[in-house]
Amino acid sequence: MKISFTKKQYLGFASVLLMLVIWQLLAMYFNSDFIMPSPGKTFMTVIRLFTDPDFVSVVGMTVLRGLVGFFISAVLGLVLGIIAGISPGFNAFLNPFLVTVRSVPVIAIILLALIWFSPGSVPVFIALLTMFPFICTNVIDGIRSVDRDIIEMARFYRISRRRIVSEVYIPAIIPFIISGASSAMGIGWRAIIIGEVLSQPKYGIGTMMQAQQTYLNVDAVIAWTIIAVLISFGFEKIIRWSEHKIVVWKS
Amino acid sequence: MALLIENLNKKYDDILLYRDFNISFTEGIITCILGPSGCGKTTLLNIIGGIILPDSGNFSGFQEKTMSYIFQDPRLLKWKTVRGNIEFVMDRGMTDEERHKESDRLIKLVELKGFAGYYPSQLSGGMRQRVSIARAFACHSNIILMDEPLKGLDIALKQNMIRSFARIWKTDRRTVIFVTHDVDEAIMLGAEIMVMSRPPVSIVEHENIIELPEIRLPESDQFKNLKQKLIKALG
Repeated sequence: MKISFTKKQYLGFASVLLMLVIWQLLAMYFNSDFIMPSPGKTFMTVIRLFTDPDFVSVVGMTVLRGLVGFFISAVLGLVLGIIAGISPGFNAFLNPFLVTVRSVPVIAIILLALIWFSPGSVPVFIALLTMFPFICTNVIDGIRSVDRDIIEMARFYRISRRRIVSEVYIPAIIPFIISGASSAMGIGWRAIIIGEVLSQPKYGIGTMMQAQQTYLNVDAVIAWTIIAVLISFGFEKIIRWSEHKIVVWKS
Repeated sequence: MALLIENLNKKYDDILLYRDFNISFTEGIITCILGPSGCGKTTLLNIIGGIILPDSGNFSGFQEKTMSYIFQDPRLLKWKTVRGNIEFVMDRGMTDEERHKESDRLIKLVELKGFAGYYPSQLSGGMRQRVSIARAFACHSNIILMDEPLKGLDIALKQNMIRSFARIWKTDRRTVIFVTHDVDEAIMLGAEIMVMSRPPVSIVEHENIIELPEIRLPESDQFKNLKQKLIKALG
């Protein structure tokens, strides 16, 4: 077991190394910082960005937008998902809405949001609309997966409706919420950054990328991309870690 | 006062299970209903428990009774520990400390001392079923319904479970209605044994055993004869 784990890590490392080698080769081929800066130069740019006085505000605002969007989607997704999971009628009512939201192109939502909202709140709205369907659908699936026999048992023992929700339904759907949160976050960060590129709030990773792209600072565009990837990766790790901590009962 | 069901009628999947069926249960003892598979024993328990409705029938004595149910499968919450599952059904009026004390007592009675903090996935099938027995007694109920909870367990485990059940029941003598198709189980546990026929159901044999479950000797002639009699009645 331990050996295969080390082997996995080793293969992961090899894959990252291969990407860097390809990158370096491309940089050498183009031999122009305006097209493809080298990994070394980009790395230095990342370091420089970290020391920029605005760095915390830029990253902080993007993360904040992500978290606000995520929080609202999670609350809405949980409440509507639980009701839809329990009541087939409400599910039939909610489903067309979920399908519509999921199939509307993100860019269409952004263009409309640009008209409707202030630059700072456009990305939050985008995040909300992209993340909510994932969480809601997962919660519905989770509720449906709850064993009918267990509910019958709880009813037989005269457990109150409130406790059936809090002690049976909610724990049962936690693994589903976590996997929904993970997919939602994955797609959410990308949507937020697209939103920032187009709405240009004062601080935001997308704002910075757009500005650097205008000046053909390719190294900075890639550097901000790397930072965005790291944020996404960090949150994915946090979600996995919390799953491990919360879902202790799964053997 | 006895628990009485009169003129019960129930059709299930186009099979007439009960036609003007009558049965009575004595309170405070273990009644075993012995019947062939598919004769509608579980349906009868579910009707008594209010999970399904009869087509018609008169019930007396059941009105103000509360019930526990030991299902065929343990039906535990996998995200709760042994203790959590037992305390799940306890009276909300109890303090945490009282619940803790009571669950300790029950855990000890079903021989799961030391496993209070285990999750169902960490227990064997027999242990899980013992948790569900403890849970049935943890809930303040007048009647315990049991639907072949020993099905699929080997004979040693079965005897072990019956001992667990008898031990816990001795401290808290509730009315138990125990449904099974296994003659040995009925002989080991029942104070009153009724044998049901195939549908439409009638009671074809009725036996009483005076000895308490824990002092019964299944090897004695008395029980061997009784077993033969019950097997014959089962058909």
